Amino acid sequence: MAARRALKAVLVDLNGTLHIEDAAVPGAQEALKRLRGTSVMVRFVTNTTKESKQDLLERLKKLEFDISEDEIFTSLTAARNLVEQKQVRPMLLVDDRALPDFKGIQTSDPNAVVIGLAPEHFHYQILNQAFRLLLDGAPLIAIHKARYYKRKDGLALGPGPFVTALEYATDTKATVVGKPEKTFFLEALRGTGCEPEEAVMIGDDCRDDVGGAQNVGMLGILVQTGMYPLHKPSLKQMVKYTCLKNSLCRNDKAHGAL
Amino acid sequence: MAAWSERLAGVRGVLLDISGVLHDSGEGGGVPIPGSVEALARLKRSQLKVRFCTNESQKSRGDLVGLLRHMGFDISEGEVTAPAPATCLILKERGLRPHLLIHDGIRSEFAQIDTSNPNCVVIADAGESFSYQNMNKAFQVLMELDNPVLISLGKGRYYKETSGLMLDVGAYTKALEYACGIKAEVVGKPAPGYFQSALQEMGVESHEAIMIGDDIVGDVGGAQRCGMRALQVRTGKFRCRGRDRLGTEPGAEGAHPSPVCSPTSQPNGPDLPWTPSPASPWRPHGSCGDCI
Repeated sequence: MAARRALKAVLVDLNGTLHIEDAAVPGAQEALKRLRGTSVMVRFVTNTTKESKQDLLERLKKLEFDISEDEIFTSLTAARNLVEQKQVRPMLLVDDRALPDFKGIQTSDPNAVVIGLAPEHFHYQILNQAFRLLLDGAPLIAIHKARYYKRKDGLALGPGPFVTALEYATDTKATVVGKPEKTFFLEALRGTGCEPEEAVMIGDDCRDDVGGAQNVGMLGILVQTGMYPLHKPSLKQMVKYTCLKNSLCRNDKAHGAL
Repeated sequence: MAAWSERLAGVRGVLLDISGVLHDSGEGGGVPIPGSVEALARLKRSQLKVRFCTNESQKSRGDLVGLLRHMGFDISEGEVTAPAPATCLILKERGLRPHLLIHDGIRSEFAQIDTSNPNCVVIADAGESFSYQNMNKAFQVLMELDNPVLISLGKGRYYKETSGLMLDVGAYTKALEYACGIKAEVVGKPAPGYFQSALQEMGVESHEAIMIGDDIVGDVGGAQRCGMRALQVRTGKFRCRGRDRLGTEPGAEGAHPSPVCSPTSQPNGPDLPWTPSPASPWRPHGSCGDCI
């Protein structure tokens, strides 16, 4: 086996890996403590379009996870970073609860469109406003392009269809910033000073977490909690994974590697 | 001059788009495009056959024609090929019962259609009725069907109203296609069958006809693919964005409108009555060397 570079950073998925909704995955708190005992940098990463870092932090603290706000990186953070990089003023079609993550960003006289899961904004008038901005050359930034999601009353349209509508109307392509896009992982690692080859992603979604991370050259660990039962990888896919663990608390291999 | 005569040789019939050619819709019904009332009158006085071929799906034919007559246009319902009546024929033929994602203004066109226990979705230019809730309902209907059928009245990207450019049905159709992983069937321009039915009504063969419109894909590209000639006007949704832009428009591959009218060209062939004048609908729009 070829020599592997030393692991310097660990990205950990949140919902499904560290916790499942409002309950911690059994043993995850201890696993995190052990991880902290090593010299690696840790980042907590998630696709979300409606929870600000503050919301996530509060939930994790309640579950007795020892985490600080600057260790959290979400798809909203990725969108903000891109907005700052491009130096644009976005029209924000995002859930109100996500707005705190865009604090300090100029939004008046917009020349960009950021779109997340925000059904209350997906009405004709607002989408038409966004459409006119895009037609004038404004960039379109999509938090992600999910087709639909589950609601109590059944399936509901996600942001993906509306992003597609705007792409078609303006003959442009959106920049998608959430997992499993490469930019998501590269951005998450930016603050750590580590190369992808020196990092590992731990998550429950074989496509969005592990697949996406491996695409940028990271190692991937798939845990069998959370989404795993729904998105079980095929045998062919399994061979690709660096390793498969029952859950985060049995991450001996990762610890051994550190 | 000679070039125009050549280009228009053998033309016996003219298909006219409505929105962007005759008028711009909008508040209070919209406004006629300057010069187009007279241009239509001259056309009707000529020996050419005239028919209107529209994708208008927010208003019923009756309402649309009423509006245009009020503006002074010489037009009657029987001269109009519109997508809603064409869709009704298809629904009846195939035993389809639609969930209608449409503007109330067009509901009367579907009065004879059974909409109980829907087994398909019909989507038209619903305008303000494209709320998240309405879109979601249509999506849920499609997801429940074993064999989801989505019929789209046209697939335009946008059109011009007096207040500016407006998202058209095509964008919302793409949204449902993406959400459900299906492909819609299009009734209306640029579907070849639609042009052919208009030509049949007019009694003219495609090589004897010319389509006049503002949409490079829906009007020009579609007509040319049927063997018709086409003319793109610089009114309505026409945007001069340079050759590259025009060439990359989805569906516009290979579409090149025979003449693009500007007052500097004189489409005064023996059969066509337009004479560019200050009142002509085909005004100069600045020096744009890249425009065809």
